[in-house]
Amino acid sequence: MSLVGVGAGRRLTVAAVGAIVAVALVGALFPDSIAGQLATTGTFERALRLSAPITLAAIGGLYAEKSGVFNIGLEGFLIFGAFTAAAVSWAVAGGEAISQADLWVSVLSAVAFCAALAAVFATFAIRYEANQIVAGLAIWFLGLGFAPFAAIVLWGRVNSPPLNSIDEVVVPLLADVPVVGPVFFAASPLVMLSGLVVLAAYVVLYYTRFGYWVQAAGENPEALDTAGVDVNRVRYAAVILSGALCGLGGASLSVGFSEGFVGRGVTMVNGRGWIAITAYLFGNYNPAGTFAASLLFGGVDALQIQLQTVGISIPNRLAGLFPYVAVLVVLVLVGNTRMPSAAGDPYRTEDD
Amino acid sequence: MSRAETVRRNARWALAQLVDASVAERLVIALAALVASLLLGGAIVLAAGHNPVTVVLFLIYGAIGTPGQVAFTLRKATMLVLAGVAVAIAFRANVFNIGVQGQLVVGGFATAMTILWLAPYLPAGGLAGLVLVACGLVAGVGGGAAYAALPGAMKAYADANEVVTTIMLNFIATGVLFVLVDGPLKDPEAAAPKTLNFPDYAGFPSLLGVSDSFSLVGLAIALAAVVVVYVVMTTTRFGYDLRTTGYQAAASAYSGVDPERTVVSTMVASGMVAGLAGAVYVVMVVGYFQDPGVFPTFGFDGIAVSLLAANNPLGAVPAGLLFGALSSGRQFVDVNLDVPKELIDGIVGLIVLFVATPELFRHLGRRAGLGGGEGPAGEEGEAVADGGEPVAGPADGDESDGEPGPRTADGDEPPDPDGPTRSDGGEPA
Repeated sequence: MSLVGVGAGRRLTVAAVGAIVAVALVGALFPDSIAGQLATTGTFERALRLSAPITLAAIGGLYAEKSGVFNIGLEGFLIFGAFTAAAVSWAVAGGEAISQADLWVSVLSAVAFCAALAAVFATFAIRYEANQIVAGLAIWFLGLGFAPFAAIVLWGRVNSPPLNSIDEVVVPLLADVPVVGPVFFAASPLVMLSGLVVLAAYVVLYYTRFGYWVQAAGENPEALDTAGVDVNRVRYAAVILSGALCGLGGASLSVGFSEGFVGRGVTMVNGRGWIAITAYLFGNYNPAGTFAASLLFGGVDALQIQLQTVGISIPNRLAGLFPYVAVLVVLVLVGNTRMPSAAGDPYRTEDD
Repeated sequence: MSRAETVRRNARWALAQLVDASVAERLVIALAALVASLLLGGAIVLAAGHNPVTVVLFLIYGAIGTPGQVAFTLRKATMLVLAGVAVAIAFRANVFNIGVQGQLVVGGFATAMTILWLAPYLPAGGLAGLVLVACGLVAGVGGGAAYAALPGAMKAYADANEVVTTIMLNFIATGVLFVLVDGPLKDPEAAAPKTLNFPDYAGFPSLLGVSDSFSLVGLAIALAAVVVVYVVMTTTRFGYDLRTTGYQAAASAYSGVDPERTVVSTMVASGMVAGLAGAVYVVMVVGYFQDPGVFPTFGFDGIAVSLLAANNPLGAVPAGLLFGALSSGRQFVDVNLDVPKELIDGIVGLIVLFVATPELFRHLGRRAGLGGGEGPAGEEGEAVADGGEPVAGPADGDESDGEPGPRTADGDEPPDPDGPTRSDGGEPA
C-alpha cells in the first residue's frame, strides 16, 4: 500500500508543478489572456513570499519526523517566532525608528527563542515520553494564549503597533537574468534564505553523516544505537532544528513580509503550521518535494489575491479558504505516505 | 506502515500507560498537572508585574463570588462538558478529532437555520417554542454529525491525517459561515454579522431567573449527554468496538471489528455531541447565529477538559466545571486587575502539555521518594479544584452576549458591565 501511496504522491507533485509551469508559460506567451493576468511576476514573487514560512516550518517538521519525533506543534512555534521577532525589534529600537540591524537581531532572537522552546518540547517528548500528538497541540495552545498575552503586556493590545520590515535586496548581475532574476534575486532576503535552507536540508539529509543519522533514528533506531550513535541526541538535534526553522519562519511573517505582529483570533500565522505538515507529507519527506508543495500552497494563496486584483469577484473570506481546501484535496489524494517506521516511538537503550 | 497507523500506535502506547495507571494515580497526575500549570502561570503573572496571589483570589471570586457569576460559570461548564464529551468519544478510540470547534459551529448553524425557517409556519406560543427548540436540537446534532463524518471518511478510506483535516475544516466552516452570515442571511438591522433573532418563545426556560443566558435545562441536557455516552461506551457493542480499537486496533480488527466503519462511526458520534453543544449554545446563550469567528473556543478547551478527565465522559463533569470556573474567573481578572484573559488560554495549554506527560510526574514522584508515581503537590491541587464546585442560587447579575469581540477565544463575552462586576479591592501589584 505504501508503494501506491508514494507513486501517487510523486505523480501528484509532478502534476502540481506542471500545472504551475503551464499557467506561467501561457501567461508569458499571451500576456493579455486571463492566465497572463494571473501569472504576473508579481504573482510569483507573492507566491514565493507566502510559501517561505510554510517551507521553513515544513523542513523543520520533516527533520523532526524523519528522526522519529512528531512535531505537530509547528503552528505554535511559528506563533512564538512571529511574536518574538516583533517584540525584540520593538524593544531593541527602544522608541527610536527600527533599523535594519534591529530587525536582524530580532530574527536571530526569534530563532534562538524557538530553538530553546523546542528543546523543552523535545525534553517532554523524548525524555519524559509524552504523547507527542497531544504535547504538540499543547504548544499550539501555548502560542495562542501566551503570545497575545505578552502582546497585551507590552503594547496594551493583542496586535503590535506598526513596526518595520526587512528591505528587499538586489543581487547584482543575477537580478538581470530575465524572468528568474527579478523573482529570486531582487527579493526579500528571507525568500533567498528559505531557498538556501531547502538546498542545505536536501544536501545534509542525503549526503552527510548527520543526515544518515537522522534517517536511521527514525527508521531503525536499534541499528543506529548499535553503531554507537546516541539515538536520542540525534532526535534532540532534529527537534531543536525544527524549532529554530519555525522561529525563522515566524519572524519572516512579522518582520520579513509585514510590519508587526497580529495576535487577533488565530494570529497572523493563520494555519500555516498545519499547512506545513501537509506540505512535507505531500513532498513525501523529501526537502525538494516539500518545497514544491509549499510553493503550491503559497501559489494558491497568491492566486486568490491576484484573482481579486484582476477583478474576478469572490468574497475575500471565501477566496482566503483556497489553501485549506487545497490541503484537504492533497491529503485525500496522497493520504498514504510511507512515514519513518519508528516515528512516534520513544527509544530506550538497553543499558538504561 | 501508514502514517495513520503509526500515529495510532503512538497514541495507543501513551494510552496504555494511562490505562496501567490506577484511577488514583490518574487523579494524582491530573492534580499535579494542574498545580504545575498554575505555578508556572503564577511565575508568568509575576514576571508580567502582577501579584499571583491576588490574581488567584480574584479568579476564585470571579468564578463563584456572586450568584450571577455562579450562573456564568455553570453556563461555561455546560458548554465545556458537552465539548469535552465530544472530544472524549473520539480520543478514546484514538481518533484525534481536533474539529469539535468546527462541528460545534456547523451544528449551531443548523439549529439556528431550522428555528428561523420553521418559526413562520407555527403559531407563536409556548408549544411552538418547544417544537422549534426540539427540531433545532435535532438539526444541530445532525449538522455536527455530518460535518464530522467528512474527516472520518477521509481518514478511514483515504488515510488522510485527521488532525490536519479537522483543523482545515474548522477554518473552512468559520470562513464559509461568516460569508453567509455577513451576506444572504444577515439581519439587515444589525451592524455586526448575525442572523435575525429567534422568536422570544424559542429558548430554554431560565427556571432560576438568574440569567437569560443560562438555563438549568441546558445543564441538564449536558449531564444527560454524559450519562448516555457513558452507558453507550460501557454497555453496547459499539462502545466496546470503540474502546478496543482505541487500545488494540489489530486485535479488535482480528476479532471482527471493521476498523474503517468504526473510525467513521466514532467521528459521527463525536460530531453529534459537538453539534449538540453548538445547538445548546445558540438556543441558550445567544438566541441567533453570529459570526463563527467570535464563537468562544469551546471545541479547543474541550480537548483540555477531555484530557484532564482521562477521556472518561464522567470525568468531563468535574473537569468541565473546573475549566468553566477558570473561564468565568479570567473575565473578572481581565476587567478588574488588567491581567489579560489570554493568560488562562496559555495556562490551559500548560495543563494539556503536562497531562500528556504522565511520566514526568512519575519521575518526580520517584525522586521525591513517594513511590507509586505520586505527584509533588496533590493537596494544593485539590484546593484549586474546589473552585469548580457548583453553588446554585438566584441573583440579579446577568451577562449580555453576542457583541462580536476582538478575539476569537472569547468573542461572546466582551468585558461587560453587568456580569463580572468591577470591585474596588483591585490592587495593581
